[in-house]
Amino acid sequence: MAKILIVDDDIDFVSAVKLVLTSNGFDTAVAYSRQEGMDKFVSEKPDLVLLDVMMDEPDDGFVLAQSLKKKSKDTPILMLTSVGQVTGMDFDKDSEMVPVDDFEQKPIMPNHLLEKVNQLLGN
Amino acid sequence: MQIIDRQKINNQIEDLRKKYGEDRSALMPILQDLQEIYGYLPDVVMQETAHAMGIHPVEVEGVASFYSFFRTKEKQGKYVIRLCQTISCDLAGKQNVARQMENELGIKFGETTKDGMFTLEYTNCLGMCDQGPAVMVNDRLFAKVDAEKAFRIITDCRRDFLKSDFPEVVPSDVKKAGPILDHGIKPVESLKKALAMPRSEIIATIRESGLKGRGGAGFPTAIKWQLAGAAKGDKKYVVCNADEGEPGTFKDRMLLYEETDLLLDGMTIGAYAVGAKKGFIYLRGEYLYMRKYLEKALEDRRTQKLLGGNILGYKEFNFDIEIRMGAGAYVCGEETALIESLEGYRGEPRNRPPFPVDTGFQGNPTIVNNVETFIDAALIISKGADWFNEHGTDKSKGMKIFSISGDCELPGIYEFPFGIKVSELLKEAGGINAKAVQIGGASGHCIARKDFHRTIAFEDIGSGGSIIVFGPDADMLQVAKNFLEFFVEESCGQCTPCREGNPKLLEGVELLEKGRCSVTYLNELKKLGETIQVASKCGLGQSSPNAFLSIVENFKSEILSPAVAGKLTKEEQYAR
Repeated sequence: MAKILIVDDDIDFVSAVKLVLTSNGFDTAVAYSRQEGMDKFVSEKPDLVLLDVMMDEPDDGFVLAQSLKKKSKDTPILMLTSVGQVTGMDFDKDSEMVPVDDFEQKPIMPNHLLEKVNQLLGN
Repeated sequence: MQIIDRQKINNQIEDLRKKYGEDRSALMPILQDLQEIYGYLPDVVMQETAHAMGIHPVEVEGVASFYSFFRTKEKQGKYVIRLCQTISCDLAGKQNVARQMENELGIKFGETTKDGMFTLEYTNCLGMCDQGPAVMVNDRLFAKVDAEKAFRIITDCRRDFLKSDFPEVVPSDVKKAGPILDHGIKPVESLKKALAMPRSEIIATIRESGLKGRGGAGFPTAIKWQLAGAAKGDKKYVVCNADEGEPGTFKDRMLLYEETDLLLDGMTIGAYAVGAKKGFIYLRGEYLYMRKYLEKALEDRRTQKLLGGNILGYKEFNFDIEIRMGAGAYVCGEETALIESLEGYRGEPRNRPPFPVDTGFQGNPTIVNNVETFIDAALIISKGADWFNEHGTDKSKGMKIFSISGDCELPGIYEFPFGIKVSELLKEAGGINAKAVQIGGASGHCIARKDFHRTIAFEDIGSGGSIIVFGPDADMLQVAKNFLEFFVEESCGQCTPCREGNPKLLEGVELLEKGRCSVTYLNELKKLGETIQVASKCGLGQSSPNAFLSIVENFKSEILSPAVAGKLTKEEQYAR
């Protein structure tokens, strides 16, 4: 059973995503900050990471993605963010600065999220 | 204006457009050059410029009328003499200089002599606060001007400076250097090291160092660079904010001149990290004399392949820097106003978000950093994050360059760690008798002796480096008045609280001066100040009443019984 790490400082979003994933047979681990995300990544060894951008600092997601890829470049990262709506910022994946495997805007429909998760896990 | 004149103007404009580019962002340098040619910007010149650029003449006049260095009504004199009117020069005796100049030339400030030789103007902060009163004549600066020196300056102007004893550049006075100013790093060393690192590693090193913006706001540099680096866009920009307009700040003037290579290394490292191909140094109009030195430094770097294509042999790293001159607008020190100015508009701050890191110059990702920030970044890359963050406090890492002026024995430039107590700083500068210290310039806070134990750090009293000392005899009401006059003049006028509020506060200070302000009205003014703080659009508007409010808080009894009140006429006393 694939394990998915959700890193996001939005408690409600984390519980909703966790519900969607567990009810579809995935194991989950959660973290609410960049540091906790890194700790859980090491301890839980997830198969996929769902990652927010703006947490304690506005660039936490990018910084964590860079650190995670240094630890394990094969673990896929799906960046989930509403940063575009909040700040008007427009980002895209980039192997150096935004080393994520896919990029999705919040809010995201459960079916679409599951589709993306399965796709990244190679299911 | 005859047809032939219009043709001549058009030809000049076309030449300038070839030199500066054909888009709107070329408007400011084009107007600056046209003013150089005509002595001012006549209507016909503005109309033809508008026509050539495909914009409405009102747009051009709007820009020209915004900046204090543009003249649209009358021709300026061959020599424009600008006397600094901000607080440090005021304390140093600017009034005597002003009187001497008016007497010598037979005109008042704001006027031009009939022979067209001289224009007298007041200006705000020339960045010479430790060596005031300061005077600028066209692009030359003069320090420690007294009545006799004012006469000599005018005499030298009449001789076109042919036999002038005055130095071309007034040297900066560094009183205390530390790890930053005594860095011992050779030019290009930092850049070479950076280009051998992955881009994300450069930003990670800056993050580890804890470097926060040295302009005063203290935003973490790494976050700015990371967000701009991650932003989508083929065109990205690096901007050096060299619009050092905060009264009492003069450290960037020294850094620009003495540490040019390190600054340019820092900008180039920033460009590499975020993926920018173009950079600007937005140099304040008052530092015009420095332009030729900076241009030469840029040209030397192009020759050495440190700017231009394939920098230091790194394929696909192309970056060049252009100098753009400000034109006497304090608000352009605010990064979004600066970007507006670079784009050729009035320097009016933008709403945020979106932020410049994503939507900056011409809508492209842009980092705007202070001169000192770029220098610190270059040093951090060379010497490592630990070298930098071993100084300072937990939340304000590193050393900081301070500009100390006012009533102290040793005004000048000092390097101290963040977290230094105000009392320690005063001891170093010979200002232990001070009754108040203005920290952070006109937009900062004025603290009294009871608070001298406090520290200068972003978590206590933040500062871009301006420290103005007020001695035991300083008239705090006059200090408040000087700062408010500054803001009334420098408010961009875009939002109501700042535009309308500051003149009201100034009126209040004038009532206090006459001894005609009740405590009730003073309390109303305090409320108005607090409203300006919360309701203004930009950081500068929000901080404009800070000095007034802190002076009211700390020196209430003094300002309610001003010195001048003792000199009131009987009539005026009755009116109280």
